[in-house]
Amino acid sequence: MIKIQVNGLSHELSQDLASMPLLWVLRDKLELKGTKFGCGKGLCGACTVHFNGTPARACQIPLSAAADARIRTIEGLSENGDHPLQKAWIEEDVPQCGYCQSGQLMSAAALLASGSPVNDTSIRAAMSGNICRCGTYGRISRAIKRAAAEGGQA
Amino acid sequence: MKTRHLKNVQPGRRRFLKQSALLSAGLAVGFHWVPGVSAADDREAPSAFTPNAWVRVLPDGTVKLVVHKHDSGTGTRTALAACVAEELEVDPMAVEVITPENPFFEAYIHPLWHVFSTGGSTSVSLEYDRLRQAGATARELLVAAAAKRWGLAPAECRAIDGRVFERAGDRSAHYGELAEAAARLPAPESVTLKALSEFRYIGKLRRKRNALEKVTGRLRYSIDLEQPGMLVAVIQRAPVIGARVEGLDAGAALAVPGVRRVIRVPARPDVLGGNREGVAVLADDYWSAQQGRSALQVRWSSSPFAEFDSESLPARFGAALEDPAAPLVRTLQAGDADSAWPAAAKLLEADYGMPYKVQNPLEPICISAELVDGRLHFRGGVQVPSFAREAALTVCGLDADRVVIEELISGGSFGAREAKYWLMEVAYLAQQVATPVKLMNSREDEMRALFGHAATLHRLKGALDSDGRLSALRLRALSPASGEQWEPGYDERADHMDYSTTEAISAWDFAYRAPNLDLGWVRHETGVPTGWYRSVSFIPNVFAVESFMDELALAAGRDPLAFRLAHMQERPRHVRVLMKAAALAGWHSPLPEGTALGLATNQGYGSFVAVVARLSRNEGVIRVERLSCVIDCGLAVAPGGVEEQVYGGLMWGLGHALFDRLDIRGGEVVQSNFHDYRVARMSDMPDIEIRILEGDRDKPSGVGELTSPPVAPAIANAIQRLTGQRLRSTPFELTLPG
Repeated sequence: MIKIQVNGLSHELSQDLASMPLLWVLRDKLELKGTKFGCGKGLCGACTVHFNGTPARACQIPLSAAADARIRTIEGLSENGDHPLQKAWIEEDVPQCGYCQSGQLMSAAALLASGSPVNDTSIRAAMSGNICRCGTYGRISRAIKRAAAEGGQA
Repeated sequence: MKTRHLKNVQPGRRRFLKQSALLSAGLAVGFHWVPGVSAADDREAPSAFTPNAWVRVLPDGTVKLVVHKHDSGTGTRTALAACVAEELEVDPMAVEVITPENPFFEAYIHPLWHVFSTGGSTSVSLEYDRLRQAGATARELLVAAAAKRWGLAPAECRAIDGRVFERAGDRSAHYGELAEAAARLPAPESVTLKALSEFRYIGKLRRKRNALEKVTGRLRYSIDLEQPGMLVAVIQRAPVIGARVEGLDAGAALAVPGVRRVIRVPARPDVLGGNREGVAVLADDYWSAQQGRSALQVRWSSSPFAEFDSESLPARFGAALEDPAAPLVRTLQAGDADSAWPAAAKLLEADYGMPYKVQNPLEPICISAELVDGRLHFRGGVQVPSFAREAALTVCGLDADRVVIEELISGGSFGAREAKYWLMEVAYLAQQVATPVKLMNSREDEMRALFGHAATLHRLKGALDSDGRLSALRLRALSPASGEQWEPGYDERADHMDYSTTEAISAWDFAYRAPNLDLGWVRHETGVPTGWYRSVSFIPNVFAVESFMDELALAAGRDPLAFRLAHMQERPRHVRVLMKAAALAGWHSPLPEGTALGLATNQGYGSFVAVVARLSRNEGVIRVERLSCVIDCGLAVAPGGVEEQVYGGLMWGLGHALFDRLDIRGGEVVQSNFHDYRVARMSDMPDIEIRILEGDRDKPSGVGELTSPPVAPAIANAIQRLTGQRLRSTPFELTLPG
């Protein structure tokens, strides 16, 4: 059995799934559909989760490499959608189609949690791995600054 | 604008009433009226006006608004709901918004294209009036029901926030209490719409619906759909167009744990936009299906397309333009350009090229289907319900009344969900298995699906007179037809125009005037399937015209803005966006060393746009620093939504200028994922300045596809002013900051 901890809950998964990417384990075995599939090659950021506290592309991590890891997904970002970033995202009306936003939020949350100063440079560095085809980058940047200004870390 | 024409649908009146009844089935009390007829009445009635298509009021006071347009992130669910809600006097952000129970209800037919479809930046502009009328009709019936109950005249009552109030007294009732009585009243023949000054939501909305579900990951997209017994299908499609399966060994694929079936999916070249040949692997989940797919042993037949190289297209296109037998459709004629060339003070000629491009919505194409009791159920982001019907008919032989759609929001479309190959494939698979099937594209599949944007070549020739004015202009736009998928018979029209290919270069929408104009489209089919792509033919047409206008201005020694204005006639809104964009960007102000501005403009969908690009050069590195954009879209129903469509369009335009390029070599698509097909990331974005003018406030016009086309020429024009070099093919070779 392979043990992983997702959003604070422990799961035991069959060794047969060792080579399955974490993305598909989350989506298809644990029914956590908030983490999205966009490219399967770690290029678009739609599947970004926190892996032992750092942002990572779940499509690039075989389950075997996630053994005993602590994983946080969009479902674990807050209980009721009230993480400072989620509130700022709604305030700035960021999502268009919304499909990339789970990944965007997880990347942004890692930036805030890192304690690094939040400015245009750090936002670009943290967020440029996340593709948005609708074009929400301007509002994402504003929302991150808003959440940071309101003291959001969590 | 995409102007698709299919044969008109003239519904029988009887059929309308039957559909009305079907529509209201399952609701405790639903409104279903036609003018002059009460809901309980089952007589013949005209079908021209059907408010019941958009409003549901339940006895408990629940108000549901139906939005019949697909939302792929464009905000139609918010903007269209607001049009109904404004007149119904309910808060569009607070009431329930649902997709149609029956997406084939006749009121939902696209008024221009006569099919069930969403697209062409038409959803708000074409539905604005009738959605408000639907809301107003419901409101007046509820007011009439309250008035009757209280023994008052309707004028003595008013509706607000989901209740009807007695104007001079204390009595009030919520809509639910009045719904049943209202449903029995005859619908008014005409209704009074609110004045602009009375609007509480239209023109004021800054937020969209579903934001909480989107930021919590709870919103369900096609890809998230699960059903008992569902199999996930992936398809290995013919790598070369036209190739067929010659040999298939599925043994290793079927041995992969979780893989259940391997099914050959036959090509349907007989259907315009039909699918290529493929081999589908069906498994318990996507990962297993992909493992099975990589274990497939398929031998593909040879195809004449194996010789095809997109690299050779510019030469091939150039030769086709020289061919006197090439099919030419004249789109704008004035004077006699040929006779004007000898008298010219200066002559200019230039070619502009654009490559194939892919839409790449971030949610790859995904659709579920299931055949149940002779009905084909599609579940997912179906942007063109008429294509679901066509798939059911051509693949399964099922008539239109055998098609059911359960619609979900999509993770982007940009034209990708206006293709039909995937609907045909999933219909075929649903017919082959007894379970629900979810067909999923990988990103690589998406890159290689084709049905993207056509490669094009534009050849222009211009004559300047001794005063530096344009005396003659010739344009030949070489492109395949795009309208064909929609209207096989368009070529028999008297003008032979494919309106979706000749955007911005036809008599009614070309921006500029000169004594001698000779504009035309040269149809050239390569056999590479192409499809709808955000902004369609505006992209290459505007790139060529707006680049050439700058080249002419330079040759004439004129300021590019002044040169454009001098050649516009009776276009006050167009002139205004140009002037405002120039002012916004500091067009006439001195610039720092190593900086230049470039300007371009576009019109379409009833709207106008001008873009100024500011570029800088630093030790050989050219950078797009800023895009300043001004639009006039008439009334912005949801200003927040308009602004983001404008931003998104500018980002797409930046992509055309710097990244978008799909190559085909040996008949196969070269690129496979976002590492070799780049799209704009946050780090690529310049500063963006957007101004939405308060234009003609009586009518909204389209914005979704307005703003991308002028970006590439604005950048090219700035590059010329910065470096002296004219770039005429996209994407531009620039060294970008890493």
